[in-house]
Amino acid sequence: MTKTQKIEIEPLARVEGHGGIKVEIKNNEIKDVQVKILEGPRLFETLAIGKTPAEDLSLVPRICAICNLSHKYASLRALEKALDIHVPEVTQTYRQLMHHGEMLESHSLHLYFLALPDFFGYDNAVAMAEKYGDVVMKALALKKFGNKIMRLMGGRMIHGENPVLGGFGKLPNRETLLELKEEALTHLDFAMETIDILASLEVPDYPERETQFICLKPPHDEYDYYGDILLASDGKEYPLEDYKKVIIERTVSHSFAKRSAYNERPFTVGAIARVLNIGDRLKGKAKEARDKLLNERWHRNPIYNNFAQAIEQVFSLEDVIRIVDELVDKAHPEIVNAARDSGTGTGGVEAPRGTLIHHYTIENGVTVDADYITPTAMFLDDIEAFIRKSGENLLAKNEMDGIELKLEMVARAYDPCISCSAHLVSVDIE
Amino acid sequence: MSGGNITKPKPRVGIYGLTGCAGDQLLLIHCEDELLDIFNAFDIRSFVMASSNPIEEDMDVALVEGSVSTEEQKKHLMDIRKRAKILVAIGNCATVGGVQAMYAQDGTFKDRMKKVYGDMKFITEPMEGQPLDAFVTVDYYLPGCPISAKQALPLLSRLLHGAPPEPFPHPVCHECKLQENKCLLLDKKFCLGPLTQGGCGAVCPSHGLPCVGCWGPHSDANFKEHITLLESFGMTKDEVIRRIRNFGGHKILAYIKDL
Repeated sequence: MTKTQKIEIEPLARVEGHGGIKVEIKNNEIKDVQVKILEGPRLFETLAIGKTPAEDLSLVPRICAICNLSHKYASLRALEKALDIHVPEVTQTYRQLMHHGEMLESHSLHLYFLALPDFFGYDNAVAMAEKYGDVVMKALALKKFGNKIMRLMGGRMIHGENPVLGGFGKLPNRETLLELKEEALTHLDFAMETIDILASLEVPDYPERETQFICLKPPHDEYDYYGDILLASDGKEYPLEDYKKVIIERTVSHSFAKRSAYNERPFTVGAIARVLNIGDRLKGKAKEARDKLLNERWHRNPIYNNFAQAIEQVFSLEDVIRIVDELVDKAHPEIVNAARDSGTGTGGVEAPRGTLIHHYTIENGVTVDADYITPTAMFLDDIEAFIRKSGENLLAKNEMDGIELKLEMVARAYDPCISCSAHLVSVDIE
Repeated sequence: MSGGNITKPKPRVGIYGLTGCAGDQLLLIHCEDELLDIFNAFDIRSFVMASSNPIEEDMDVALVEGSVSTEEQKKHLMDIRKRAKILVAIGNCATVGGVQAMYAQDGTFKDRMKKVYGDMKFITEPMEGQPLDAFVTVDYYLPGCPISAKQALPLLSRLLHGAPPEPFPHPVCHECKLQENKCLLLDKKFCLGPLTQGGCGAVCPSHGLPCVGCWGPHSDANFKEHITLLESFGMTKDEVIRRIRNFGGHKILAYIKDL
């Protein structure tokens, strides 16, 4: 007699956007795993057609609120290549500062408010505050600091218009910069405390299987969140412009997000991919944090993405301090104007949850082709593969009690951004 | 017995997201100084973005973000409406349809859908983004892309005390004057401040950047005159209309239909 069992987790809580997980078990075997993306389609790439670069820049952050500045940054990098704009180093450094704000905002939101409640056995972080009040209050303060940088550099906390082609509308004064440095120093202790908290947690081994990792290779020898080269964990490097040949996409009916593969297999992007691929570049306290947390199971277990985010929090805080020291005595750069009104460009940044690629073709000042490839759409196949593996292992050990939460933890570890993923689409207008 | 000192039950609240960027829910989560108080003052039954195990029963207030972009979301919204005494549309997508509705009613949605997804059949039928009031009665509107804390928190406090939220009848242009900014229109910059609902505090013009219109159309605005002014900056009428529709969704159509 056959016995069919279905596990449906919907809605998938404590992630951004509307999704679900469906697992079908037949005769004690996993038959099917689906991560459903039920967020409706918005067709962003079709919205960009016929728009000016300035309009594109105010549209793309709306793809996703949590990583709105990463979207703006990726578009800026693509459009500036297309229009032959070369910003001075100071402007680039201000952009890095802006990006650290988003990393701190997004990582702290995910780590303390979306992921940690699972480890401590709560429905949410506010409930967790009763017993872990100190951690929750300090986490709120850290998130607020990330948001403060986003507000300062973006113009407002979410969907700020301040970063523009060739520069910024307004830049912070000396006092404000020094204030950021002071504040970063105060949060550093808590970021390191977090490393110790995580070091004491037991990470379950039920999802473990080998996978591949991709991130951008920074254009210098330090750790960073941008670049023009795709770096894979097999050691291969690819020019960013070739992304369509490296990351192969397909559509599936249970999801408004397209799916991606590298070497015909699923892959992972995000903090864990960055720490594994370029983590040996970390210095100072961030290196200390990596030495404390990194182990060889990271290659097989996506739950360690939470740990990688904690390491990046330390890196970002230290780098804010470095950046302030570098910028504090420099004059504000002028906005650089476009040198031409037609061209093609591909821009890549590391959004908090992984590699984000924007591509544009501009003709006579308007967009004729746009393509946005988001991290969540890149790793959805890998989430499904890890959930399948988890299900198989839990079935084999007959540990079916609370399986829903265990599967959710795998999906949640990736910090998926479902709004983003629901328009991993590409349009070519002939 | 202390007469009259009866503790009122906390209002039961559900916070939902349909199709959008989740920025309005995120803004609430990002009210770091008020977040614990919000969770204490209200009985938050459902807020899937922030908490597991939602309780889906009758509620006093539903805050709904996002446009209706699939048949399933339409059903979900109608179910929320049935269970909620007060329904508030939060953010540009819920109030006007969002950027995904910038080509509202021009008939290109099916074609654009096909260009992106081919002939794929989905488990729920997609549709062009619609504001909530295309399907249900909306009691209050909180515009913005995303909503601002300065408007959201007073609305929540008033609802907490059983009072109706105060309307905000001013355009961005008015808020900009209060900031004493130099008018960007004098420099022939494409600013939509006079056409746009206020509430952001004129944040973009305060950074020297023109308003893009993300709070949606202002009902008292003089569209005809402003479009003529913008045309005089060296743009065709079509270009001007295209730009002012970016954040105008379905609601802007009524203001520009005869122009």
